[in-house]
This record gives sequence, structure tokens and C-alpha cells, in this order.
Amino acid sequence: MIYFDSAATTLEKPQAVPSATAWAMRHLASPGRGGYSAGMGAADLMYRTREQAAHLFHVSDPEQVVLTSNATHGLNIAIRSLVKPGGTVVISGYEHNAVTRPLHAIPGVKIKVAAGPLFDAGGVYAAFEREVTPEVDAVIVNHVSNVFGFIQPVERIARLCQERGKPLIVDASQSAGILPVDMEGWGAAFVAMPGHKGLYGPQGTGLLLCGGDAAPLLCGGTGSLSARQEMPDFLPDRLEAGTQNVCGAAGLLAGMRFVSRKGVGRIHAHERALACRMMDRLVCVPGVAVFRGGQEQSGLFSLTVEGMDCEVAAEELAKWDVAVRAGLHCAPLAHQSAGTADTGTIRFSFSAFNNAGQVDRTAAILRKIVKDGKKAW
Amino acid sequence: MVSYLIICRSLTYAQRTAHVLERAGISGSVLRSPKLISKEGCGYCVRIPERRLTDALMVLRREGIAPKQVFLQTADGEYSEVKA
Repeated sequence: MIYFDSAATTLEKPQAVPSATAWAMRHLASPGRGGYSAGMGAADLMYRTREQAAHLFHVSDPEQVVLTSNATHGLNIAIRSLVKPGGTVVISGYEHNAVTRPLHAIPGVKIKVAAGPLFDAGGVYAAFEREVTPEVDAVIVNHVSNVFGFIQPVERIARLCQERGKPLIVDASQSAGILPVDMEGWGAAFVAMPGHKGLYGPQGTGLLLCGGDAAPLLCGGTGSLSARQEMPDFLPDRLEAGTQNVCGAAGLLAGMRFVSRKGVGRIHAHERALACRMMDRLVCVPGVAVFRGGQEQSGLFSLTVEGMDCEVAAEELAKWDVAVRAGLHCAPLAHQSAGTADTGTIRFSFSAFNNAGQVDRTAAILRKIVKDGKKAW
Repeated sequence: MVSYLIICRSLTYAQRTAHVLERAGISGSVLRSPKLISKEGCGYCVRIPERRLTDALMVLRREGIAPKQVFLQTADGEYSEVKA
């Protein structure tokens, strides 16, 4: 199989990831629940995972690294911590449902969309400048659009938020492990990310980097202050009720070590080169519209095929054993912003394990599908 | 054996405390706080050798780490709080 759906989950992992996960399953118990070696071993692993993440994402204190079950989990905590009923929030025009749905679930929230044109970082920044007004309670932006690979101007938006005293939530789902994520530099209130995409961990893992106080989404046992009925007021315990995913964390730690060894810059350059190579091969195919963004695009892109439903095109690719994602990618707002809400798109996303040969083969297959489709119609 | 127990607010804080001490050449082991001195329920502490307390507190102060409490554990297993 040729797998080009790493924006959903990186399927091929470094060998150390499944090995570490399996080892943890056999040898580690619950962290923070017992002083015996299997419990303390689990605690040590969780701490090393926090330390590795703190190092990778510029967090001063491992306590500020909270392990979550995915980016959505972290975003829900962040949003519930900062946005109250009747509050006002500014979001970019490229947000995922992981942001918009939790906001819609809070009664009376006013959502201001800082809508800017696709691949126009200046336009997006100008929209934030307009929308971040005194009554705003929080600002939310995804670092990279999961549909188009548009790299949004997070650094500038972060500076704007600092200047105007507004807490910032960054959704780093498509950038963690691929672009520099600088928690301290951004001065963000929260940065949420999954473990199973660019960090090469198992599904069911994620990280929430916390810049300050946070409200728990779940309450329960933490292995600390057990005599009290209130949740602890310190991190990470405040946000980590219940038994943690130790096996997942073991895999995530191995994945983050892989990313650190390889280097975020090299991974990004590799994925971008593959995306550009494929766009070069498809841009000249009649009827194919490629959404291309130059330096403001990461290693993923979308396209549409004139006269062919995006889901049909993805199905045809699947018959050739090429895995891509089609549709709205759980991001209808991003499609509205780019004008593709009616058609959806076909998305190609790459990982460190893809190669140029796979790109060339897939481009040739897609050209054939488009050509044959045209004959059929 | 006489040793000191540095009580920490959480397991992660205890791990961080031990890590900082280790970097400064002071070996400390993370363990669950004895129930007798853990008034608020489950907690964690870092055990350090008796002779290293002053150095340890200095290192922790420098790193901005605040121990919740410090106890002396005597050879016969008694605990007495010491002013950190």
C-alpha cells in the first residue's frame, strides 16, 4: 500500500514505537499508584515523556506537559478553561471541528472568525488584528490547516495576543514534529497536539502544553492529595484523572525521540519535497485543480478533479492501493474559507517514511483515473 | 539509617526534584510518602542522605523548586519535621 494519509495518522512508525508500547504493556503498571517497581517504572516513563516533550516544544517545566488521549481532548480542556458561557472568542478561518464543535457546545458563545484568503499569511494576520478586540476572551488558531497545509502566521498572532493581553490556544495537530513549536516563545496559554501524527506515537495519545491555570474536564483519582474531594490545583495531576495510557506514552516517547534524532527541519523538508514533487506532476493534468501555496504550505495539499466526486476519486485510488483522505476532513470552516465546501477535496499528506517513487506512481495512477473518468462521462 | 524526606506536592514534582538534585550530584530516590506524615492522602517524596540536606535545599532554591515539607527519618523509623 502507498499511504498518503499521515495528516490523519502516521501508519508506518519507527520500529522503536511498537517495541516500546509492547514492552510497557508487559512490564509497567499504573504510575502514581504504587511504590513497587512496575508502578515507579511507569511513573519514570511518564516523566521522561514529559521531559522529552518539554525539550522538543520549549516548555520550561515538565509539569506543564499534560498527557491527553488526542489533540481534541487537549483542545476541549483548553477551550473549557478559557471560554465561558456568553464569552467571545476569535478563531481562524481554517479551524477543525475539534475547535468549532467544543465552542458551539458552550451556551451563548460569540465566535468571531478571522477569515483570510488561503495561503495569504498577511491577510490572515490582518483579519486577526481586526477581530482581536477588547471584549475577546480567547484566540484560537491552528498552526497548519489540516486540509490545505496552509502555515498560518502563528508567531505574529502570538505577538498580537501578548500585546493585547489575550490568551492564545494553538492547535498544533499538523505541525508538531514537522515545524518548530515554541510554547515559551509564543507565550501561549495552551498548545494541543496529537501523538499519533507527526510525533509517530500510537493512536490514543496526545499532549497539552499548559502555560497557566486549567480547568479539569474529568475529575477522579490522581494518586495525589487523596484525602481531599477537590481536584489537585497543580499540573499535571489537575488534568490527568484516572489511569493514564502508559503503553501509549511509551510509544509516544519513542516517536518523539525519533523526531528529535531526525530533526524537525529535515522531516519538514522531506515532506515538502514530496508534496511539491506530486503537485508538479499533477498541476498540468487537465481538470485537476491543485491548491498550492509556495512557502506558506507544509507537506500536505489538496486537489479537486473537475467532474469527479472527491470520494469517488479516493475510492478509485484505494483500488490501486493508494490511501488518501477525501471529503471535508472534519474542517467545514476551512472549506468555506477556501471555497471548496460544496465539492470537498482529495488530500495527500506525507510522512518521513514516504519516498519519491511512491509519489511518481501515485501521480501516474491519478492521471489514469482522471483520463478514464473523463471517457466514462 | 538516618535520612531526610523532601515532601513534594505531586509525583511529577518529586521526579523533577530528584532530577534536579541528581544533576547537582546529589542522589535522591522518589518514593511514596509515609502515611504518618502525608496528612492529605497519597503523596510522594524524595529521600536524600542525611549529610546532603543543606546542599540539596540550596540547589532546589536556586532552581525555584519549593519543598512542601522536610522530615528527618531517624534510624528507629521516627519522623520529625525540620524547618527547610
